Amino acid sequence: MGLPRNLAEAPFLSPGGTKMNFKWRRLGENSLFLSPSIILTAVLGIYPILWMLRFMFYDYAGYGEPIFIGLDNFQRLMRDALFWESVGNTFIYAGGKLVLTLPVSMLLAVILNGKLRGSNLLRGIYFMPTIISTAVISVVFYTIFNSYNGMVNTLLMKMHLISQPIEWLGPKLAMLTVILVAVWGAVGNYMLLFLAGLQGIPKDLYESASIDGANAGRQFWSITLPMLAPVAQLVIMLAIIASLKGYESIMLITEGGPIGKTEVMYLYLYKLLFPVSTGSPVVQQFGYGSAVGFATALIVGAITGLYFLLSRKMNKVY
Amino acid sequence: MRKTWAGIGLSLILAVGLAGCSSGNVNNNDNNGAAGNGGATNGKSGTETQAPPVETGKPVQLKYWTDDRHDQEYIKEMVNTFNETNEDNIQVELTVMSENYAQSVDIAFSSKQAPDVLRLKTNIVGEFVKKGYLAPIDEYLTDEINTKFGSLQIDHVNRFDGKVYSLANTGLTLRLVYNKDLFEQAGIGQPPTSLQEMVDAAKQITEFGKSEGIYGFALNFKSPKSAFDRSIREILSLSGHQGLGFDLKTGQYDFTAYSQVIEYFKQMHEDGSVMPGAEALDIDPLRAQFAAGKIGMYLSFSTEPGVYQDQFPTEINWGGALAPTIDGQIKGTSEIVSAGTWLGISELSANKDAAWKFMEFMYGDDVLTTYHEKGFGIAIVPSIVEQAQDPEINGMEGFLVGEHDSLWPVAPIVTPEGAGYADAFYKYILAGGDLQAITEDLNTRYNDALAKAVEKGEVTVTPNPSFDPANPQGE
Repeated sequence: MGLPRNLAEAPFLSPGGTKMNFKWRRLGENSLFLSPSIILTAVLGIYPILWMLRFMFYDYAGYGEPIFIGLDNFQRLMRDALFWESVGNTFIYAGGKLVLTLPVSMLLAVILNGKLRGSNLLRGIYFMPTIISTAVISVVFYTIFNSYNGMVNTLLMKMHLISQPIEWLGPKLAMLTVILVAVWGAVGNYMLLFLAGLQGIPKDLYESASIDGANAGRQFWSITLPMLAPVAQLVIMLAIIASLKGYESIMLITEGGPIGKTEVMYLYLYKLLFPVSTGSPVVQQFGYGSAVGFATALIVGAITGLYFLLSRKMNKVY
Repeated sequence: MRKTWAGIGLSLILAVGLAGCSSGNVNNNDNNGAAGNGGATNGKSGTETQAPPVETGKPVQLKYWTDDRHDQEYIKEMVNTFNETNEDNIQVELTVMSENYAQSVDIAFSSKQAPDVLRLKTNIVGEFVKKGYLAPIDEYLTDEINTKFGSLQIDHVNRFDGKVYSLANTGLTLRLVYNKDLFEQAGIGQPPTSLQEMVDAAKQITEFGKSEGIYGFALNFKSPKSAFDRSIREILSLSGHQGLGFDLKTGQYDFTAYSQVIEYFKQMHEDGSVMPGAEALDIDPLRAQFAAGKIGMYLSFSTEPGVYQDQFPTEINWGGALAPTIDGQIKGTSEIVSAGTWLGISELSANKDAAWKFMEFMYGDDVLTTYHEKGFGIAIVPSIVEQAQDPEINGMEGFLVGEHDSLWPVAPIVTPEGAGYADAFYKYILAGGDLQAITEDLNTRYNDALAKAVEKGEVTVTPNPSFDPANPQGE
């Protein structure tokens, strides 16, 4: 049963009610229903942002009086080689993850969109990493890749393909390893999104193309890809943001090491706000951390904006 | 319409009711306290901080939070004993935190649901004092207590601005942990006493056992700071230098001696004597490999005997020995760390007197002596050291406080811009570079940070030109 078109004539209005009274009442109801999300957004979203925006101009370690230092935190940020290295590492990590994740997840989606036996089971299997805790994934991959008794090295040595353990988590290969872990964790998720997009493409387009003699490859290039473009635009954007912000598995597997080779910018930020050292005390740096947080948000925002600008044609396919 | 409003009204009542239930934790039983981080309690009911006075006949309820898990059964037993035997009608509820203790305490204090008594570790007590969490206990310190703990009241450890906030119980010694079997099989008679001997021993063991995945040396380099603070710190203090790069004589940072040790560590790396994958190794996987007989030696705290008894039971024949020194000469003393603090009272506690009574019980000779004898920590209170038996834990004999162990003055905590000393030096070990330039850069950045911290009043530095590393407390 739909809502009455003329709300003023709605049966629940009292005979003496006016349009104005109804509007006020409606406003009251709407406000009431919206208030939980407004309050939660204000408390958990807007307030922390305002807090951060304030403290990026302060020297503040989480206790004592914050000291106003103007733009000192931003000057420090500009000369902070560790931060800029982490930005560079973030681009390598995000780029590597995207280059591998997107084609693989799209390929899987296309394959599983066909009439393949057991495709539902395979969809479930590929999606499974998405629902497994990052901590579990990280421990499993550490067991697989660690140099001294990891499964990969053990297997390669038993097959006499290598004589020395490969340092999968050493300075040269650690980034590749954490990218592979990230790809493994993300492919199923994006596969599902691509799959949803594929299922929205009308079947009759393929039927018409078949009648016209288009083979599977031609159908993919001329129908699937263009029709998938609006969904792909969104999926790629989500993937870019997630890749730029990802740090959890890195923190657990390498903690940003060795010698900063896998230190991505959100991990760098995390360490400033919540020092992870298990050694002697390290002081929290809320003030500088806030400035770094602002800069990282700006970088992620700028890249996302740039992507939207460059990909706007993807949304105008049909 | 009436139904709509009735629905809204019901929702509001439910929401208010639920909110009321949750905030009711303040007054009702909430075993996890404010932080709710999954801590385990001793099962006593009633966690109210603002307890009714004794006159009403109701017990005074105290909350005691700790993040020590290794001793929880014993502490639980002691808390229960106190609850049953104290004549002041005080009931203590113990909560053992699982993780993120400092953050849980922060949340508890900001929501005014702080525990009355807190476990204080040396690395957080200074921050807790600055944040105003702790109450001074000077008014409770009788002559007897001052006699017992007086020599262990140390500035910036348990005494801040002349006020005492905690008392000592145990400390951690640091030792070279070595596999006696591997040393013997590689033809090495004794644990190394100099860094060159350590480099040679690591090489010898690796040459002997590499084909079986055995390496001479390892540390948990996933966190270089954690690795160096359990190894180089001790090598330096026994060699006569402060272990975190601070020169107590000049009151300035000087990483020159530190860089000397780094050269030997780099040599072991270049020799291939360090276990592959050590750069991503945490301490527990390292221990697991040591327990499996794959590592010749490493350096760590006196927690290791307990670890190899319970966490990674091992068949290997291992022991603890004094750390090697730079040149084989002992010119200082091995620093006892994490010493000087144990329990403290919350500034927000409404029952400070009762909290002190509980502390007094816990600091009694019986509790402290048994604590040492059970191997939960190494006693450093002189009267306890005298009367306690040695713990019956395999390997502990190598970690007991001896003539070469002592407490050191505390180095100021500063946060320099850029990489810390551990990251900078570990980068040199793996990637090379100009060690002198790295050392000078560290000196400059740490001393700049120190000057700023002094200017802000965060730390005070008093150079002690007559500081004697062989007698760090000057007694």
